[in-house]
Amino acid sequence: MEDMYQMDRTMSTEQDIKIRANGVQVYYADNQAIKDVDVEIQDKMVTAFIGPSGCGKSTFLRCINRMNDTIDICRVEGDIRIDGEDIYDPRVDPVQLRAKVGMVFQKPNPFPKSIYDNVAYGPKIHGLARNKAELDEIVEKALRRGAIWDEVKDRLHAPGTGLSGGQQQRLCIARAVATEPEVLLMDEPCSALDPIATAQVEELIDELRQNYSVVIVTHSMQQAARVSQRTAFFHLGNLVEFGDTDKIFTNPEDPRTESYISGRIG
Amino acid sequence: MTDATHGTPLRNKGKSILEVDARTKKRNAAEARFKGYGIAAIGISLFFLVSLLIAIISNGIPAFTQTFVNVEVELLEEKLDKNGNRDIADIKKVSTFGYKPLIENAMVKAAEGIETELSDKDLSKILSASAAAILRDYVIANPDQIGETVEFRLLTSSRVDGYMKGRVVREDLARDKNLDAAHLDLIDVMVERGAVERVFNWDFITGSDASESRPEQAGIGVSMLGSFFMMLVVLVLALPIGVAASIYLEEFAPQNRFTDLIEVNISNLAAVPSIVFGILGLAVFIQFAHLPQSAPIVGGLTLTLMTLPTIVISTRASLKAVPPSIRDAALGVGASKMQAIFHHVLPLAMPGILTGTIIGLAQALGETAPLLLIGMVGYIATNYPEGVTSGFLDPNSAMPAQIYEWAKRADPAFYERAWGGIIVLLVFLLTMNLIAIILRRRFERRW
Ligand SMILES: Nc1ncnc2c1ncn2[C@@H]1O[C@H](COP(=O)(O)OP(=O)(O)OP(=O)(O)O)[C@@H](O)[C@H]1O
Ligand SMILES: [Mg+2]
Repeated sequence: MEDMYQMDRTMSTEQDIKIRANGVQVYYADNQAIKDVDVEIQDKMVTAFIGPSGCGKSTFLRCINRMNDTIDICRVEGDIRIDGEDIYDPRVDPVQLRAKVGMVFQKPNPFPKSIYDNVAYGPKIHGLARNKAELDEIVEKALRRGAIWDEVKDRLHAPGTGLSGGQQQRLCIARAVATEPEVLLMDEPCSALDPIATAQVEELIDELRQNYSVVIVTHSMQQAARVSQRTAFFHLGNLVEFGDTDKIFTNPEDPRTESYISGRIG
Repeated sequence: MTDATHGTPLRNKGKSILEVDARTKKRNAAEARFKGYGIAAIGISLFFLVSLLIAIISNGIPAFTQTFVNVEVELLEEKLDKNGNRDIADIKKVSTFGYKPLIENAMVKAAEGIETELSDKDLSKILSASAAAILRDYVIANPDQIGETVEFRLLTSSRVDGYMKGRVVREDLARDKNLDAAHLDLIDVMVERGAVERVFNWDFITGSDASESRPEQAGIGVSMLGSFFMMLVVLVLALPIGVAASIYLEEFAPQNRFTDLIEVNISNLAAVPSIVFGILGLAVFIQFAHLPQSAPIVGGLTLTLMTLPTIVISTRASLKAVPPSIRDAALGVGASKMQAIFHHVLPLAMPGILTGTIIGLAQALGETAPLLLIGMVGYIATNYPEGVTSGFLDPNSAMPAQIYEWAKRADPAFYERAWGGIIVLLVFLLTMNLIAIILRRRFERRW
């Protein structure tokens, strides 16, 4: 009975739309970076954003957890809803939103603190652990999911900034998952990683899909094809094409998409 | 088609890199010249620094030693306590004048066997005018010693001290009313006997200022306390206000005309001459708020005004220097702006903030001009404050003001003390800089 109920829920949410964006426009001062983008991001799926450099992928990603609020000249118009709730509603506290929508940045940016503290910081400020033992557990779990546990388990109190670039990025992933967000935004998480670490992160993304909805920005077509179920192609601030990854990569509708994935524009 | 038609890109084609061409030579020469200028500039500054240090040390070190004479004084009962009942009230009635004969007797005894043309009365002129007061204080504190013979170490007069330090020579004494060459002969013999000696002068560091006729007694201790209380006020006010203002301006304030105006004004304030802050302090704290004149609290408040811009500017600079990615990282895991700043940005900016604060404090410590207007210069700091409250509220001087005061006085003995005071001040400043460096090392982290 209980199981049935659970299954039912999973079944139904499988098709749920987690994030719905409608007519999103983003301006940096007078310069429009995102032009009228509509996108639907499903729960428990990986959505990939691809497109040439400067087309607005990061900008759009940052709208989803309102990181653009920190840029003075940035203005966002349109409507973005998570679980049907408008995230730009004046009643929404972006701090609360960001606890729900985690982010991994394009450039690894660990805190200049110990590896342990890097991961423990989020759970600490959100009160996710009642005591040290619980916190230890959360940290270990997060580091395991970030595919970095084995490398750092003996030096948890060494500074996070002392790790290599790829290790730092995985530490940032661990830090992001430690707060148990519902949505995870990843801006080119693998751009600093070697193929082995990339494979580990991709595995992680696949695993995260069980619980979260994941949005990943990537410049690697192969990666988008490997990890995502849905793909959005951005070009010059427009969302050119959005659909099932298989379809986009095998049978794109728009000629721009086709030339991009075949390497002719970029 | 020859190579020449291809123009510049191929000019070096085929040339050996083992040979330095004319252009490279020219660039290398320019670099060498520039290095030369730099080294010359550093050399010149070092030369001035060293000459300054030599001047300060050679002029100031003598202030740290003082000449004393050891004499045995018979505390005659008939002079000090005629009734013989050791009634402290009666003993207090004997003024310093009453101690003069005792000192004269003691000096006659000390000079026993030395041939001198001086009269018995003139012998005690080698002593500081403070001698009688020292005896009196001792007797009042120890009435039971009356009738005994007690050994005292008494200050010599500043001329004798100057003679011991080589500042005063016999020729100088031709026009001196107090001291003759005969006194110096006497001193020579007493030095041989070990009765007169030059020792380290703690009183210079801990003591208080003295009147113009007794430079040998003057010390910097009380004005040091004045400076200390002022710095306390500056630290307690300027650091939190300055840091809070900078955090607000840098992290929270919207970018608009008004904040731009504030920003420009803060930069301008840092360049305002300190005397302007002095007159502001006079007008606001003394004339308007009716705080006591010459009080360290007013000095501290005035110096706070002066130090704030320095702290704000350095704090903002160090906040700006924290990479924005750290802020993003904190906000990204759901920290509030305040948490991001206090948990991550501020610790990284701390070394810069502390350095700025200590530099601001050091500036304030050495500042004289604003004190001029609130009456802390020229005030003769002869008494220790009785407690913390009076430390803040009672009239006092400050180290640089005291130095200025000494340098102004006619007696060269005071001039020597001014240099000595500068050494003390510099030791304080060096200590503060050292603390700044240690703190910076402590807090410095990589990112
Ligand atoms: N902070 C900013 N201020 C002003 N303009 C910005 C800012 N950030 C981005 N832009 C502009 O917005 C546009 C989109 O930038 P964005 O960073 O979103 O591109 P991107 O698709 O993520 O590129 P990349 O793949 O190189 O990361 C660019 O034209 C860029 O110049
Ligand atoms: Mg980007």
